[in-house]
Amino acid sequence: MADTNSRQGSGTARAIYASKERQDEWMQYIADRLGRPRITEKPQHPFRGVPDFWREYDLNQEERINLFMSNWTNLGGHAFRMSSMQEVGRFLEDFARETGAQKLLLQRQPELLDLGLPEALKDVECVVWDSSDDDIIDEAAQADIGVVIVDHAAAYTGTIVVLSSPDKGRSTSLLPRALVAVVPASAIEANLGPILKGLDARPKDQLPAGVHFITGPSRSSDIENDLTIGVHGPGIVYALIVG
Amino acid sequence: MADTAGSSVKVRSKQALQDDFLRKAVKFTTERLKNGKRKATEEHGNWEEWRERGRQIRLHTIAHLDYYLNLFADNARKAGAQVYFAKDPAEAVIITREIVREKQARSVVKSKSMVTEELHINHVLEEMDVAAIETDLGEYIIQLAHEPPSHIIIPAIHKNKQQIAEVLSEVAGERLEPDTQVLAGFVRRKLREQFLQAEIGMTGCNFAIAESGSIVIFENEGNARMCSTLPKTQITFMGLERIIPSFEDLEVMATLLPRSATGQKLTAYMSAITGPRRMADGDGPEELHMIIIDNGRSRQIGDPDFQELLNCIRCGACLNVCPVYRHIGGHSYGSVYSGPIGAVLTPALMEDASQWQDIAYASSLCGACWEACPVKIPLHDMLVYLRSRKVESGTSPTAEQVVFKGFNYVMSDHRRMERFLKLGKVGQKLVARDGYIKIKGPLKGWTNYRDLPEIPKQSFRDRWKELQAEVAQQPKPNTMIRDIEQRMRKVLEERSRGGGSRGGH
Amino acid sequence: MYPRVGEAMVRILARYGVQLDFPKVQTCCGQPAFNSGYWDDARASARTLLEAFDDSDFVVSPSGSCTGMIHHYYPKLFEDDPVMLDKALRLKEKTYEFSQFLVNVLGVEDVGATFPHKVTYHPSCHGTRLLGIKDEPMKLLQHVKGLELVPLPDAELCCGFGGTFAVKMSDISGAMVSEKVHNVESTGAEVLVGIDMGCLMNISGNIHAEGKPIRVMHLAELLNEGVSS
Repeated sequence: MADTNSRQGSGTARAIYASKERQDEWMQYIADRLGRPRITEKPQHPFRGVPDFWREYDLNQEERINLFMSNWTNLGGHAFRMSSMQEVGRFLEDFARETGAQKLLLQRQPELLDLGLPEALKDVECVVWDSSDDDIIDEAAQADIGVVIVDHAAAYTGTIVVLSSPDKGRSTSLLPRALVAVVPASAIEANLGPILKGLDARPKDQLPAGVHFITGPSRSSDIENDLTIGVHGPGIVYALIVG
Repeated sequence: MADTAGSSVKVRSKQALQDDFLRKAVKFTTERLKNGKRKATEEHGNWEEWRERGRQIRLHTIAHLDYYLNLFADNARKAGAQVYFAKDPAEAVIITREIVREKQARSVVKSKSMVTEELHINHVLEEMDVAAIETDLGEYIIQLAHEPPSHIIIPAIHKNKQQIAEVLSEVAGERLEPDTQVLAGFVRRKLREQFLQAEIGMTGCNFAIAESGSIVIFENEGNARMCSTLPKTQITFMGLERIIPSFEDLEVMATLLPRSATGQKLTAYMSAITGPRRMADGDGPEELHMIIIDNGRSRQIGDPDFQELLNCIRCGACLNVCPVYRHIGGHSYGSVYSGPIGAVLTPALMEDASQWQDIAYASSLCGACWEACPVKIPLHDMLVYLRSRKVESGTSPTAEQVVFKGFNYVMSDHRRMERFLKLGKVGQKLVARDGYIKIKGPLKGWTNYRDLPEIPKQSFRDRWKELQAEVAQQPKPNTMIRDIEQRMRKVLEERSRGGGSRGGH
Repeated sequence: MYPRVGEAMVRILARYGVQLDFPKVQTCCGQPAFNSGYWDDARASARTLLEAFDDSDFVVSPSGSCTGMIHHYYPKLFEDDPVMLDKALRLKEKTYEFSQFLVNVLGVEDVGATFPHKVTYHPSCHGTRLLGIKDEPMKLLQHVKGLELVPLPDAELCCGFGGTFAVKMSDISGAMVSEKVHNVESTGAEVLVGIDMGCLMNISGNIHAEGKPIRVMHLAELLNEGVSS
């Protein structure tokens, strides 16, 4: 994003708190309290990450798919296996029709665009994520169904992972009442480990603004411990595993 | 930070103990969460190893905080965020006010952040005529009811459906049924408008990843995602101790936190946010401001008794096992943080011991909190250390100081103790009946709820010589004795070699 | 304060040829003062124990919390005094809670007792959490003939004693002991047994004030009664 130096608000009252001097002061203070000189080289971190036995955890693809689906379902989501993207397309058509959805929002992902949904669903307004459209967030807020192809999934926790980009809005998986997540079977890891290590491995400038780990529908037990689904995020969540 | 100055935990808890609904609600909630944690941790297995791992990662990070916090700030800036260091609430407020004014904000949507409670940010915004809207369902409800949160994870457990329906009906301008779905549905619609209109989204932060400059937020509802996706400006507050080195380390925290807090494998949403939106993105904030708060945290660093306090990952597991919290609920603590963590954190963040009131005394030191803590913070020890510091400051109650001077005098010499007991035996003749004392004297705290046993006519000491003689004549199962002698010798040998059973285990 | 308990412990251990000595120089482990933050005053009391047991090979206590105090907090209490610290560390090494001593040192799980009653066990906080006493009392109780052991609901919940806490925060403590007694009653047990006199005094004080017919006994007392009858 923009030139952060000028945006640091130099000349504003708050600039002083964002200054290098202030930062150095704090780090020196902490070092003084720790009773040693400031550390500027990366220290040895013998306990980095998970315990060794957990690194051994693994499942074959069928096991991963089954575990993912079982977890997703236990959380109140719905999970189905699809043989192909064509089947996904048909599912979406049926789903939109049966629910009487008026607006469908698709991430700008080629496999979704190839489904030809706007043509198939005449009565449903099909919107594709367009980051150059100033009203795209409002469109997303009005959408009944959001459709994404996930970047990763984790079987052990029943989690899907979506990374933001100009073509992949964060709102698509957040604002509509229902979310349909297409999960390529090959993207399902046994647990979160490989996904998180992958984030560590990325060059810093290639980390997206938003990496969202989604584990089931939006939920809350704030009212008398009574579980309610779909408070702010989507309450109806489908995971379609393809392949 | 003690919001109800002049009152005390003792006074507030007396009121709380009389509120039947509150007691039942607190008990129900803490049982549910406690059982959830037990189930989730048993299912996952090897919990002790995970705890130790979590502890080591947090200890390491705090012990090298000058490196990691610096790295975090630099990386966050590289990703396009603006990072500020605020020593205390006053500085944080100056920064916040300026950003709010600059953006000409009329409303701010907030997701849950205990730090913003420390700063009283809502009050600041209200003074600026800016609507500060809590969006977490429980927080929203208590905001409308003008009450502080009573539990770190489930803030509105002290309110029943009827009360909630009343509060929300007023906002709706129509009568809402006391039905969870109806009430939640109303909040979703109402807050949706707010999310889309607000100029600024404010969030807290569960963890901050040093190596990438990312912040990580755990939640179940989706409102934190809303606050960090829809408004054009985002302000994120975090304590300086929220840092962990890498995403790999996050895996450990993501394993410990949701299970400890609510018994979930993972919260519905875990979001890793790195900088504001990229230029070509269609949503996400254009500006991300991160305000890093000290407010007494740095003072724990270098203090061997309290440095570990900074390990806390704010899961609330200690609240759910605390036998005191169970009965008195969160409001009795009278401060932002309640339960065992609050009993330690509140005084620890306040340098002046004379301000500490009695919060560190609202504990029987049972140690359940330490047992439950996913990062093994010895809260039960820290409570005693706080008490010792209070005494050292000279500001503990005078009457109490006198009592313990007396204790010192009597207990430092066994002959004085024996004389003291003799006096007690004589004195109690007036009030003891059938072996018990029921009268309400200076120990009425005890006798309000229990009878006090009278001092026995013949103490153990008095009887010792007689007992020794009797016991010498007692029959013994002879065959066992040689084995036992051997076992005891073995223990002594092992001990002198420096190994073996160490008294007790 | 409870001579019966000390006596019972002496008698049980004497059956195995263990001749206990009672050095009368000892006053109190200092826990009440320590827990309230009065560490100088706690040290004054604790020193009498360090002196009393300087020459002992084994120190046995019928109190889970006193033993916990010695193990967990004496090293901290004397950390600035090298001479006393050394004594404290040695004392820690040789001090055992009664059931631990019986089961782990003497290797005795069956004392040959008979006690035909319904009994429930309250696990003291300091005993279980600070000392790690989980199985020893259970092993001893399980071998008592005729004894019907019923589990106590929410057993791990503190009884509300906490030393001066019971007086200082009496309303909270009262609520905690009421819940504990309610749980004890719900088991239908005739006897509540435990390993810490603080807890037992607290619970029995409430039971007595409420006029309930539940007998409260220390483990040593129960075992001693079981072998004497």
